[in-house]
Amino acid sequence: MRPRLFVRAGVIATALMGAGWGAPWPAAPAERPGLAPRVTAPAAAQQRPTFRREDLRPTLKNPSANAREFFFTRAIYTGGGRGWGGGAWATDFPKADRQFLSILDRLVDMDAFEMENAIQLDDPAIRRFPFLYALEVGNMYMTEAEVKGLREYLLAGGFLMIDDFWGTYEWQNFEAEIKRVLPEYQIADLPLNHPIFNTFYNIKELVQVPSIGNAQGGPTWERDGYEAQVKGIFDETGRLMVVINWNTDIGDAWEWAESPYYPLRYSTYAIEITVNIIVYAMSH
Amino acid sequence: MFETVFEFFFKYRPIVFGEGTLAFRPTVATFVAAIAVVVIGVVTLRTYQRVRANTRPVDRTVLMVVRLAILAVLLLCLFRPVLVLSQVVAQQNFLGVLIDDSRSMDIADRDGATRADFVTEQFGGEESPLLTALADRFAIRLFSFSSATNRITSVDDLTFDGTRTHLAQALTRAHEELAGVPLSGLVVVSDGADNAGLELSEALVPLEAAGVPVFTVGLGRESYSRDIQLSRVDTPRTVLKGAALVVDVLVTHNGYAGETVSVQVEDEGRIVADQAVTLPGDGEPATVRVRFTAADAGARLFSFRIAPRPDEMVTQNNERNSLVVVEDTREKILYFEGEPRWELKFIGRAVADDENLQVARLQRTAENKFMRLGVEDAEDLVGGFPRTREELFKYRAIILGSIEANFFTPDQLRMIADFVGDRGGSLLMLGGQRSFAEGGYAGTPVAEVLPVVMGATAGEGEDGFFIETGVRPTRAGATHPATQIADTEEASGARWLELPPITLVNRISDVKPGATTLLESADGSLVVLAFQRYGAGKVLAFPVQDSWMWQMHADIAVDDQTHETLWRRLLRWMVDGVPDQVIADLPTDHVELDEPLALRAEVDDANYEEINSSQVSAWITDPDDEITEVSMEWTADRDGEYASSFVPRKEGLYEVRMEATTDGELLGSDTAFVRVAPSDAEYYDSTMQAPLLERVAEETGGRFYTPDTVDSLVDDIQTVGGGVTVVEERDLWDMPIFLFLFLTLILGEWGYRRSRGLA
Repeated sequence: MRPRLFVRAGVIATALMGAGWGAPWPAAPAERPGLAPRVTAPAAAQQRPTFRREDLRPTLKNPSANAREFFFTRAIYTGGGRGWGGGAWATDFPKADRQFLSILDRLVDMDAFEMENAIQLDDPAIRRFPFLYALEVGNMYMTEAEVKGLREYLLAGGFLMIDDFWGTYEWQNFEAEIKRVLPEYQIADLPLNHPIFNTFYNIKELVQVPSIGNAQGGPTWERDGYEAQVKGIFDETGRLMVVINWNTDIGDAWEWAESPYYPLRYSTYAIEITVNIIVYAMSH
Repeated sequence: MFETVFEFFFKYRPIVFGEGTLAFRPTVATFVAAIAVVVIGVVTLRTYQRVRANTRPVDRTVLMVVRLAILAVLLLCLFRPVLVLSQVVAQQNFLGVLIDDSRSMDIADRDGATRADFVTEQFGGEESPLLTALADRFAIRLFSFSSATNRITSVDDLTFDGTRTHLAQALTRAHEELAGVPLSGLVVVSDGADNAGLELSEALVPLEAAGVPVFTVGLGRESYSRDIQLSRVDTPRTVLKGAALVVDVLVTHNGYAGETVSVQVEDEGRIVADQAVTLPGDGEPATVRVRFTAADAGARLFSFRIAPRPDEMVTQNNERNSLVVVEDTREKILYFEGEPRWELKFIGRAVADDENLQVARLQRTAENKFMRLGVEDAEDLVGGFPRTREELFKYRAIILGSIEANFFTPDQLRMIADFVGDRGGSLLMLGGQRSFAEGGYAGTPVAEVLPVVMGATAGEGEDGFFIETGVRPTRAGATHPATQIADTEEASGARWLELPPITLVNRISDVKPGATTLLESADGSLVVLAFQRYGAGKVLAFPVQDSWMWQMHADIAVDDQTHETLWRRLLRWMVDGVPDQVIADLPTDHVELDEPLALRAEVDDANYEEINSSQVSAWITDPDDEITEVSMEWTADRDGEYASSFVPRKEGLYEVRMEATTDGELLGSDTAFVRVAPSDAEYYDSTMQAPLLERVAEETGGRFYTPDTVDSLVDDIQTVGGGVTVVEERDLWDMPIFLFLFLTLILGEWGYRRSRGLA
């Protein structure tokens, strides 16, 4: 490990410990009484619980929480695939979101809401949250209302981060779906000299973050997704609207970053790239 | 009327009594007669004392008093009262006659005749009555006056095409020219429309001191029956290219109440605005707010006009021209955020297409870690927020986002306040968890300059303030250029009410005295946008933390431009008028040919402190692109002020670039423009200005006349005027008033006796 990476990894590890890492879930903040995580153990996943709207968006129980600046907002979309609570959108939800937010709070001087925040693409309230995270998009099949909601969200100024989809088949599906949303814009590669790679951290290489099952050995790729790639969609003024992390599973790294067995290299990269993407989205 | 009655009873006009002194000229016979009158009086008294039959004491007293009064009148006449006057000696004195030669004399408001016609009638030649009467008694010196004052031999030399009326200059000039001769006075024949802007008092004091009365003859009507005038047009001298201008046009009129007219604005041949206005009652001014965009860079001549009505008495006052310099510069604004915030992204995006605004964004992302966007070069803001005045004062405006006061050093806080007060820049504080009171600004120099009173912060363990509210413009905000978010005032006001709610985390309910609230919460209880002028600059408070909702909200159409318009106009208004180190200041945007143009420059050093040792030059480019350098000197009246003057010899547009250097180093330069052309000033407020002419006469001891009263002018000059005079006594004993008194008393006595049944 190079010294620079070592230092960074140390910072993140400290942040993780400071956030009370170790428990499978960070404790719900005291000011959010009555909010109990719906899913507390992998075993519960098998019961496929249904999320209530106020559980997806804790701010609904306490409107003054809307005073916060940043919400890590997860897109709820229609589609098949893995995940709990009714769809692929909820993969790693909400543990990954909460763990990432507790790290973000320690690394970046920003006013981020510490709880998850998931919202349907066709919900008009989505416009309150200019940052959106969507994953497992290889099996995304959006309704027309969702396509319209996402399109207007992006054109108005919203920003979408895509994660955790692998291989040619899932790419093709995602490409077809995003073309329904933004037919007039092309997907382009984001080279490492793009500002998004040094907005906060200076990222020198792309890392393929494997899913938890492969993280402790074995191949880092899935299907035919051998190489991690970061792509983007720009509007006509050059504004980056969508960042696509393909052949990588950044969300899994947030979710399992507290595990002593999870390789620090992956969680470090996952957190760095996400912090960069968020800071970039909030300034460009 | 009064004068006529007075003259009937007292033989002479009041002015004669005013000038003369009363004296008595008794002779020996007068005293003999007086003794006889006294004897008669004594006899009368004794007689009345003796008579008792059928009379009451009251009757006796009344009759006795009447008799004595009759005797007193007789006695007064016998003492031969006289009025001692110094009269101007005929043909031994000079009289200056100053005739207005300006364009306004051609206005036909004397029952179809022009004002100039009066001059021709009364001074036109040997047959003309007034000139002949004056020439009989005085040596006449004729002068014409308008922009300049000239000696003329006859009124045939008058052209009535002068574009200015310099009354003060004309009086001074005529007085100087006639200084060596016995001067009875000056006669001014004019409509009194003095538009030179010179101080009249300075011309009147020497005349008064020298005892030279000025007799003024006012021509024309004091008000027109049918006329529309563009009385004033307030345009900024300099604007940024693409600026949305809101210009107030003051329209006055007579005779068109209730009619709707249209104020048009033309930008060098292209109509850029057309605003209808319904005229109020006669004589009441109407302010018309006209909006247009300064689309093209350079010195632009905007014409404001109302199409002349067919029956207007003066049509030349329906148009005004205004020279506006449209600058195509890039104004630097520093926007500092203490944390990643959506406002930074969306404000940057809103003004990204505005080529005239450069918003350098500095965002703290972690302790001592900053992100820079929109900076000039790699070194710009590399150390974070500027630490020196020189570095900070490069900007024209500062936006402080959610950044706590503790971040700054005391010197930096003072610098921010000085940025407004001394440098004349603009400061905007946005709402946020680290702004205003929540940011710990209370008691800092920045709080001193803010236009709002900061509310109390939440106590320990309490929830912070938070409210989601709609926004509405105040009366001031409805018309203010910074808060115009649509093309018309009505549309802008309506649009504000349609906008989705925003959130506030800073409780601000009050503005400081002198500050103006432009936007407030829907219930009117909270301040949303307020500003005040502080020192040389402007300070704004906008305690909103998410104005980006006006861009992102689902109710806002994706292609809606409201958010962009708001931020562009707000930032443009902030940088508008912010001074540079060198300011080229011309007192006017228009002079006439050969009229001296005053040049003035204000020069500051990089810390915006006035500097008196600079070398300042004005480079003047005339319409044929010939360049003249004029050196400017420190005035010694004010620090940093340099002045000189220049006389334009060609008509057209002149560019004046002023440049200041110190020790061979360029401090800065600034360019102003001036138009050299004939003036239309004569046609504005061109009714006869009687108060001004009366004042001139009164202060110098002369009189004011109209064509109806001018007949007494000659006699009055002879009585009041100076020069070579002789003392003349005029008898008063034969004044009709004495006979009238005498007869009234005798008839009164007779009537009283009849009524009382006395003998």
